[in-house]
Amino acid sequence: MSTPPYNRPAALGCGVGLRPTHYPYIFEHWPAVDWFEAIAENFMVRGGRPLHTLTRIRERYPIVFHGVSLSIGSADPLNFEYLGELRRLAQRFEPAWVSDHLCWTGVGGHNLHDLLPLPFTAEALAHVVERVQRVQDVLGRRIALENVSSYLTFCHSMMPEWEFLTAVAERADCGILLDVNNIYVSAVNHRFDPLEYMRAIPIERVWQFHLAGHSDHGDYLLDTHDHPVKEAVWDLYVEALHRFGPVSTLIEWDDKIPEFPELQAHADRARRLQERVRAHANARANPTPAVAIDHRA
Amino acid sequence: MRMPTLEQTQRLLWRLITAPSGVADGLRALDDTDRLSRDGLEAIVNGDVVLPAVRRLDIYANMYFFRLLDALKEDYRAVLATVGDASFRNLITDYLLHHPPSHPSLRYAGKHLPPFLRSHPLAQAQPFLPNLAAFEWALVDAFDAPNADCITRDTLAAVAPGAWPKLRLQLAPSLQLLELDFAVGESWQRVQAGQPGGEPTRRANWVRIWRRELRVLLREIAADEFAGLQAAAAGESFATICERVAEHERSEERIAALLQQWLADGLLTGCDRWHHT
Repeated sequence: MSTPPYNRPAALGCGVGLRPTHYPYIFEHWPAVDWFEAIAENFMVRGGRPLHTLTRIRERYPIVFHGVSLSIGSADPLNFEYLGELRRLAQRFEPAWVSDHLCWTGVGGHNLHDLLPLPFTAEALAHVVERVQRVQDVLGRRIALENVSSYLTFCHSMMPEWEFLTAVAERADCGILLDVNNIYVSAVNHRFDPLEYMRAIPIERVWQFHLAGHSDHGDYLLDTHDHPVKEAVWDLYVEALHRFGPVSTLIEWDDKIPEFPELQAHADRARRLQERVRAHANARANPTPAVAIDHRA
Repeated sequence: MRMPTLEQTQRLLWRLITAPSGVADGLRALDDTDRLSRDGLEAIVNGDVVLPAVRRLDIYANMYFFRLLDALKEDYRAVLATVGDASFRNLITDYLLHHPPSHPSLRYAGKHLPPFLRSHPLAQAQPFLPNLAAFEWALVDAFDAPNADCITRDTLAAVAPGAWPKLRLQLAPSLQLLELDFAVGESWQRVQAGQPGGEPTRRANWVRIWRRELRVLLREIAADEFAGLQAAAAGESFATICERVAEHERSEERIAALLQQWLADGLLTGCDRWHHT
């Protein structure tokens, strides 16, 4: 690919994950959300309702494709049939960008349908960087990779996750989908400081935030996407906005999915926080002179 | 200990996560060549007092199983309603051992369940289960099959009489043809209506499932129609289609009626000249 110079894509605002249970509501109300994120694999089908639905939605909203099966860190060869499908989808629907996860989802030709963490080694780094470059060549565009929630780490990791993620993004010249909830979940599970994680991530590489709910299992947090975003994650999101700016933000909800207006209310909350942080940044950058009031004679 | 490679690490984790009775049993089942170290899993995965390495990996093992179980419950609602939660869960445990998913999309994880059920002990007690599963999978396949425009009566009217014997009919890509030993369509419809599926009647029956625009439709058909559609689906000529139908009922009216029905149902999407291959 003759790579155009790197630019962070323009922000889309605050959106929600596109889920079939909400299709009737969307088609009736065409709600005021800024954008939708569609799970790419759900639309890698030949015809019928899924593609018809996405076509109608794309006519009115920006979309982003979010994949779950790229398996960028797998020791298996890249699946070019899958990549071809992804490229065709991207050509047809013109998403603002395409993202997947910094993880592996299977090996030996098998798929675990889960996002498994990588050992943060020099071998894994070189492997992932080379594969991201090949994927970007096939797709003809940069992709963004998301940090996953994790429940285990490897004894032979040589660097923290934030260093690995940063190195992948800079060496492979790709974007980062920073999942604020995943940082929080992993920080609790592995006892690191989530702010240290965020401070290490290069600002210009971050294209998107994810926000989602998790469950507290006592000994660990589980990234279940079946609850509202926790207050501690909203707090971390505000920190993220201060550092990275009003980056495109998406509310993810995959289980016990609420009615659309509730989901939309979470996107609205993210938008209000963005506006607040923006106003704060403006006020700091442009301090106004003091005005004499003289309200008493 | 030598540092495990990425591939060794992933293969070990895959084996342990997919072990049917948990990570601890999976570890015991590894032979010495599979073990990456004498020190066990703790030499590869960090653990602590709160969450030892085995428990950390068990979190993934549980998510693997329950994510697939939930997906297959959606695809096989009537099988689930018929056998109940506990038996369905055991069935899926057995199934995943033999057919661990390999496709990038979860959509295909249940593809092998109908043939798998044929040799499963559950089908000895309830021999209609493979039919029921095949019926439900046909619905899944029809739902997102390729779109195709239908031809009309005019298209067929334009075919010269002499061209008919070598005419090849193209069928809607969503069309699924099922030859069944049990009337499982009835039990499926009961489950759809929120009633118990119950045991379906044992009788030979033929069903076609297809999609028209966005709606999936089903129709029980006679054996001659099934034979004719099967021949058409195999790319046979119209003459052969007629022969297959005539093996059940020899009448020109019958073929004409079937063609009318196929047109009306939107099953015909094209026609061209048959070439022997």
